Amino acid sequence: MGVVALFALIVLIAGIVIGFSGPKSKGVVAITAILLLVSISSFMAIRALVGQPFQWMYSGSFVTGPVPVVVDTLSAWFILVINITFVTGAFYGHYYLKAYQMPSSKIALHWIYFVLVYGSLTATCAIQNMLVFLIAWEVMAVGAFFLVIFESDKSKTLRAGINYLIQSHIAILFLTIAFIWVYTTTGSFSFEAISQFSATAKPYRSFFLMILFMIGFGTKAGFIPFHTWLPHAHPAAPSHISGIMSGVLVKIGIYGIFRIATYMHQDYELIGIFILLLSLSSGLFGIINAAIHRDIKKMLAYCTIENIGILGIGIGLGFIGLGTSNYLLIFLGFGSALLHTFNHSLIKSLLFFSAGSLYQQTHTRDMEKLGGLIKQMPQTAMLFLVGSLAIGGMPPLNAFISEFLLYSGLVKGLMLPGSFNMVLMVTSMAVLAVIGGISIFAFSKFFGIVFLGTPKTSLYHKPHEVSLGMRLPQYAVIVAIVTVVLFPSFYLRILSTVVAAAFPRFQAMPLAEIEAITSIIQWVGWYSLLFIILILGVYAIRKLITKKQTETIHATWGCGYVAPNAAMQYTGKSFSKTLAKLLYFFVPEKKKYQELRSYEIFPAKRNHSTYYSDFFEQVIIDNLIQYLLNFMNFFQFIQNGKLQRYILYGLFFIIAILLGLAFTLVYGIFS
Amino acid sequence: MVSFVLIVLISLVFSGIVIRTKSIASGRKGPGIWQPMKDIFKLFKKGAVYSETTSIIFQIAPSIYFASVLMAIMVIPLGNSKGLISFAGDFVFFAYVLAVGKFFNIISALDTGSSFEGMGASREALFSMLAEPAFFILMGSLGLLTGYTSFHEIFMAFHFGSYVSYALGVIATFILIMICMIENSRMPVDDPKTHLELTMIHEVMILDNSGFDLGLIMHAINLKFAMYGALIANMFLGDAPMYLTIPLFLSIQVLFAVVVGILESFSARFRMNHNAQFILVLSSLSLLMFFGVLMVLGKFN
Repeated sequence: MGVVALFALIVLIAGIVIGFSGPKSKGVVAITAILLLVSISSFMAIRALVGQPFQWMYSGSFVTGPVPVVVDTLSAWFILVINITFVTGAFYGHYYLKAYQMPSSKIALHWIYFVLVYGSLTATCAIQNMLVFLIAWEVMAVGAFFLVIFESDKSKTLRAGINYLIQSHIAILFLTIAFIWVYTTTGSFSFEAISQFSATAKPYRSFFLMILFMIGFGTKAGFIPFHTWLPHAHPAAPSHISGIMSGVLVKIGIYGIFRIATYMHQDYELIGIFILLLSLSSGLFGIINAAIHRDIKKMLAYCTIENIGILGIGIGLGFIGLGTSNYLLIFLGFGSALLHTFNHSLIKSLLFFSAGSLYQQTHTRDMEKLGGLIKQMPQTAMLFLVGSLAIGGMPPLNAFISEFLLYSGLVKGLMLPGSFNMVLMVTSMAVLAVIGGISIFAFSKFFGIVFLGTPKTSLYHKPHEVSLGMRLPQYAVIVAIVTVVLFPSFYLRILSTVVAAAFPRFQAMPLAEIEAITSIIQWVGWYSLLFIILILGVYAIRKLITKKQTETIHATWGCGYVAPNAAMQYTGKSFSKTLAKLLYFFVPEKKKYQELRSYEIFPAKRNHSTYYSDFFEQVIIDNLIQYLLNFMNFFQFIQNGKLQRYILYGLFFIIAILLGLAFTLVYGIFS
Repeated sequence: MVSFVLIVLISLVFSGIVIRTKSIASGRKGPGIWQPMKDIFKLFKKGAVYSETTSIIFQIAPSIYFASVLMAIMVIPLGNSKGLISFAGDFVFFAYVLAVGKFFNIISALDTGSSFEGMGASREALFSMLAEPAFFILMGSLGLLTGYTSFHEIFMAFHFGSYVSYALGVIATFILIMICMIENSRMPVDDPKTHLELTMIHEVMILDNSGFDLGLIMHAINLKFAMYGALIANMFLGDAPMYLTIPLFLSIQVLFAVVVGILESFSARFRMNHNAQFILVLSSLSLLMFFGVLMVLGKFN
């Protein structure tokens, strides 16, 4: 009781103190509050991981029924992931926001919601009552909306924010439908009711329930085709918020899927195949779009969709493991998804933070306008390089560990009986390989265009390295990344307890095989270290030999052309043009220009611009909304602006309630 | 250990054999088989010219590229002797380590701010990405066929029994040769003979590299050839004793070099925009291999 109350009290007090403190110290108060909250929740989470889960049962109201608050191993894992990103995000954000000349009220609002979103995020991980869960979820969604629209004076930001708000409420709608379905069947709002529902439901009911949850949680997580809020909201939000949103806020959707997965009792394979196919297409779609977009934060947002896809492949694999009672597959699938959750939250926050540093110094998110920044911002460049290597799943960095686990799972899945499974697994492997390949494409483009070469346009302010306060959180993230590389077996042991506790029906996991996997992963960690040593060795030899040799500095070889200029460099657009052309049906290219008329003898200066549009947003969502709007027009007579009519509606409503009451009474008397 | 030493040794003469074959095929006298190595040693001794646009990336990239190829070679076994590194799923490590080198190669090309090198970089990124699924489907099918997931165990268990498995061996060899040609930007995809700016992929990426760095990149290509040659050789070695394995390995490598030479002599480079289709055909070939494996396992009954 005490801990939960203390937690809520700190959020409340922090909100009040931030409101009344000076404009400079608001961030400090928020950081202090976050640190306090993080230490409380980390304490509970670590206790849960070592085998003492925190459990509390509130009596609740007569509407909600009892409200269990449980920090079990699954919640603990997600709470720890959230904690790390929130701490680095708070520090980075404090220094990042210093550059803004905003009214103090706005900054206060921002930090209050920052603390509130943290509180509600951890709460969603612990609350196991559907109604109260929805309330916490709603607080988080609305809080995140206010965080996104920090720069609310820009109309684009507001638009993106409202887009996000609406989509997250569509998600809530689906969740509510699913919860109500469970409630009407079982008569309880406790999460355990889902388990009861799934165990007793007729065939396919449980599958449809899972689909409802998938749409609800998947909208938050960013599975296609429910992803369309991400590429708008991430660029609009200030960078520390984008990092947090992409790092942990979308992961709460993954948490939801995991939580529901633990309560499922049937149709595993069907669910698994569904999630697997959805994730494969999410991954491919995300990374293809990431490779072609020129807005740096939009590109990172699409990359988040890709990584959610990779996560989802793991979850799908885990479900197939549940369906075939293949314990190793359960461990490899769910384990890789959980580890990738952690890895991606680290990498993506790192990438968004360095993208924020870029934006702060150059005031543009368009990569075609940048270039050669490694000379002015060497540390940011190196931080970004580490991030882009890591996100491509390349050794010696952390995402390789989780992707390797996933590959191991897929290879193990190949040995499953049934040729359908084999085809599915081999397709997944091939798609995962393509995703890896395109992500090299995308991030070599990003890094090469933004940080290397020569500047393509002259910027108003000469960019220079960002403050230490902004760099330090990023180095902290890198330290966390390195721990995953060097001690993967440590994380894997934790994950094996998490997976075993989440799926207790499958406690009979073959420990020997899991130990074998763990030791292989640890060896992969050592080999990664060996790789670094080898690189250093080759470089040292090179340094030793070239020390004595002459070194000349000269202009870039222009193949005989003697007057090359910066505009002649290869641009990001031309870099990705071949890929985009190959996949034109997937990433339609739109052109905006004015045709030259026959009567224009002396044509004026004109512009030609091309951009890529989101296939799903343009073809599915926009059309759907158009139909919906057309349909809604039929009901326009209701909203006619006449006050008298509106009062009449109120009267109708009251009469309807009275009639309902009367009917109930009469029904009660006669039955 | 044995495989590592042998691959490094054979890499010294590999390009020499390729060039020798090409000169014989075109009726020229041609250089000796040590000539490419002599060129590389000359490069090692030369000073370097750096572009004023470049940064630290340009300096470290060749070393990382070279190290990544060395690291990948460590994974490759030789018959019944394991590679230096061998674990379940090591083929994933193999592919991803090579990708690291590729990544640095690409960004080092972009580092020069040249209008040509970016073009090469873009194509390298695209084509190697397209070749990736072929390799993974191939390894997946071999894994499925043998029930193992590391190079060493897969090759040890890969036996030629029925006619179908001979066909599988032929397809696998063909896929590996083609992946090798794509990864090294050789003939049907790219033509290294038309040197400098006319070459479209690899050679154009390293236009600005010189001296020791260029030597490293050149030798990394030799090593990569020998590495893929070793993979092909392993398909046929099986569990033979060492005194048989080593001569067989060397002769398969030489044969592979001759095949590369002949392929380069008698084929023309594709048009750039047809390359993507060609490489995708490779993926479908490896799918064919996969279905062949399903057939061998009797999954279609």
